Amino acid sequence: MIGPEAGSDEEANRERGTDPESAASPLLEVEDLDVHYPITKGLLRREVGRVRAVDGVSFDIERGETFGLVGESGSGKTTAAHSVLGLEEPTGGEVRFDGQSVNELSGAALRAFRRRAQLVVQDPNEAFNPRLTMGEAVAEPLVLHGMEDADRRRAIVEDLLERVGLSAADADRYPHEFSGGEKQRLSIARALVLNPDLIVADEPTSALDGRVQSDVLALLDDVRREFNISILFISHDIDVVRRFCDRVAVMYLGEVVELGPIENVLEFPAHPYTRLLLGSVPSLDPTDQQFERPLTDTVPDPADPPSGCRFHTRCSEIVPPEDVELPWEQWRAVVAFRFTLQAGELPESIAVETADGKLDDATVRDRFDLPATLQDDAVDAGVDQAISAVIAGDLQTARDRLSETVPTVCEQRVPTATEHEAAHSVCCHRYDSTVEAEPRSWER
Amino acid sequence: MGTSPDPHRFEQVDWNEVGHSRRFVTPARAVFFAGVVLLVGLYVLQRVDTVLLGVYFERIDWVILLGTVVLTSGVIVPAVRRRELTRRVLGRLVSRPIHAAGAVFLGVLSLVAVVGPAVFGSPDLMFQHRFHAPYGFTGEASWSAECLGEVTDGEGITRYCDGTMTYPLGTNHRGHPMGHLVVEGARTTLYVLVFTAAFVVPLAAAVGIVAGFRGGRIDDLLMSYVDVQLCIPAIVVFFIGYMYWNVSLLLLLVMFGLLSWGGIARLVRSETLQRREDGHVLVARSLGASPFYVAKRHIVPNITNTLVPAIFHLLALLVLVEAGVAFLGFHHLELYSWGSTIQEGLDPSMTGVGLVVEPHEVWWVSTFPAIALTLTLVSLKLVGDGLRDALDPRRNH
Repeated sequence: MIGPEAGSDEEANRERGTDPESAASPLLEVEDLDVHYPITKGLLRREVGRVRAVDGVSFDIERGETFGLVGESGSGKTTAAHSVLGLEEPTGGEVRFDGQSVNELSGAALRAFRRRAQLVVQDPNEAFNPRLTMGEAVAEPLVLHGMEDADRRRAIVEDLLERVGLSAADADRYPHEFSGGEKQRLSIARALVLNPDLIVADEPTSALDGRVQSDVLALLDDVRREFNISILFISHDIDVVRRFCDRVAVMYLGEVVELGPIENVLEFPAHPYTRLLLGSVPSLDPTDQQFERPLTDTVPDPADPPSGCRFHTRCSEIVPPEDVELPWEQWRAVVAFRFTLQAGELPESIAVETADGKLDDATVRDRFDLPATLQDDAVDAGVDQAISAVIAGDLQTARDRLSETVPTVCEQRVPTATEHEAAHSVCCHRYDSTVEAEPRSWER
Repeated sequence: MGTSPDPHRFEQVDWNEVGHSRRFVTPARAVFFAGVVLLVGLYVLQRVDTVLLGVYFERIDWVILLGTVVLTSGVIVPAVRRRELTRRVLGRLVSRPIHAAGAVFLGVLSLVAVVGPAVFGSPDLMFQHRFHAPYGFTGEASWSAECLGEVTDGEGITRYCDGTMTYPLGTNHRGHPMGHLVVEGARTTLYVLVFTAAFVVPLAAAVGIVAGFRGGRIDDLLMSYVDVQLCIPAIVVFFIGYMYWNVSLLLLLVMFGLLSWGGIARLVRSETLQRREDGHVLVARSLGASPFYVAKRHIVPNITNTLVPAIFHLLALLVLVEAGVAFLGFHHLELYSWGSTIQEGLDPSMTGVGLVVEPHEVWWVSTFPAIALTLTLVSLKLVGDGLRDALDPRRNH
């Protein structure tokens, strides 16, 4: 426990001076946030493209709530977190803290925001300046916010260190003298020293091992309860999120694909990507390997994201065109063939044989689990031509043939977020009433 | 929990009370400002012909005095303010005898360079006492018109003159005591060191940090300038200046100093690029720290491992360049540099005294400044390495 008095929420609210009206609105609102990085070329820095690190992300965080942001690396979750803190200038959209737009803050209001929103970074080894003692590092926020009384700073830091489970004497030691777990505790202490309302924790436990991870999470949870702090928790580890968060948003290539209460999203995941993430958690039970593999393993380049639904190139639940009559397994094999070719992820055996000219129809079909004939004549003809093109070494023609043969609504239209259940929204064509496709059932 | 709020608990801090006062008057700035005012005052007094302390400052002296003010406010004031750290770093620096010896030598050099000329004054030309041997050695008596020591007979008509305590290190062809020449050379060397440390190093560090921190077009611009600058041989520029202006130490320092910082700027830039995304930098930025604060507190202290040895290498390099240029004879005649003294000792027949003297016969003229120069360079290297180790808390002795 952090302190002798397990301060009630009421008390915390009173100290913060939050009136009931502002308490009703969420502490943090992120609306349609875009963070694009221009790709420039040449001396004049002509813009030739954009990396859409974060593209139209919206969520909000209530007071005292823990909100998780999950996704693979490169999904834009850290960039989103940085723009919440104003470290990254958004190219579009808005971040509101306590009803005020963060990017319009200045002067005293900006300083207050900088005090009320704190950051805990991922790697404890670089979270601290190696040349400052821990006392100096934890007191740095106080210095930066104008507390000039060194003795008072020292007293506050010593008190705080003891409350996060370290000793006052640790203030004189240097970062390299601490273990990863201790450093992460100190990192939390530093985030706490200004008595914030929001802590952005960017993968705070990913560099730690199991038991230490639980300790740090427990500390963070204690802190949240005692001081009624909201936490934006960023992680790629869905298990940690399950243990720690109240609500969660799943990000893929800069977009939120699913958002909802933790028990809904993780027990009854609606979006195929969430299902993939949940399925990829390693399990000790050998029978628990029933999840479907993604069509391809390559995460597309965020500078050139796929059209329509960004996940369609990997989606194992991709929607077939209405006129195509194929059993599910065959449909899946055909689209897997198509997107594997598109991603350039050819199995090595085939790539080598292409050079030799020894590739035959059966080998390709075997490689991609394609049956000798497909039930749909049009698709069968298209696949035949594509395979001949692969054998001839003409991958471009093969790709073109396949995209003509098996077009899908997923690449043509951008899905919109639909309310799947109460407070649980999903961004997938299978939940869109205008698309003729039912959500597939999912069992873990 | 007590009834009165405890000021030493973080949740009890009333931030409206703490407020935010940005202090413009820091001790370092105060010292810098006071120093500059003092210098301007002295300069005005000298211009209106009020001779102070009997010393007349040349332009180079003013530049070096300004450099001293910069170093005092930028290095000494912070060192005094963070006494604990300074004591620890110095303690670690002198904990290894060899580094301690280097530091002591540089300290003695600076002291001699400042106090020496005032104590010894500037001796007159004493041609009658030229080429006197150091105390305990002998030279040919025929070289000088007057022998102060005992004269002993050698083979044939050769007679030898013993060195005396009047000139403990001997004299050169003008009858200047070698001790005086070494001290004057130390002053020249100190000038080089102060100029480099006060003007060249901050410029290099500032350019490197700005380029690394801001990135983008500013980075491109600054680094392409550095590339161009690295292609210009400073010595050629110096000779062009030499042709058109009066030759002076200032010209040499400006030309070489301002064309030689590119390497350090690049080093600082690449280190800054590596560090600017570090967690502690992000946290400081999220707390609203200014770029200057981040650079001063988070970047510079963490690049000392590469920066400090590079700075001391640059200092040693410029001391050597000054000596080399003076050795070649492109120095101001009244300026006694170790380099020019070495040259006079190595080529005595060129010095216009009409004597045939072999360099080894007057070895003391070249040897003493050469020893001083060598010790200075070695000490700079040693102190650079020692300081690097001492500044890094992760290195344990």
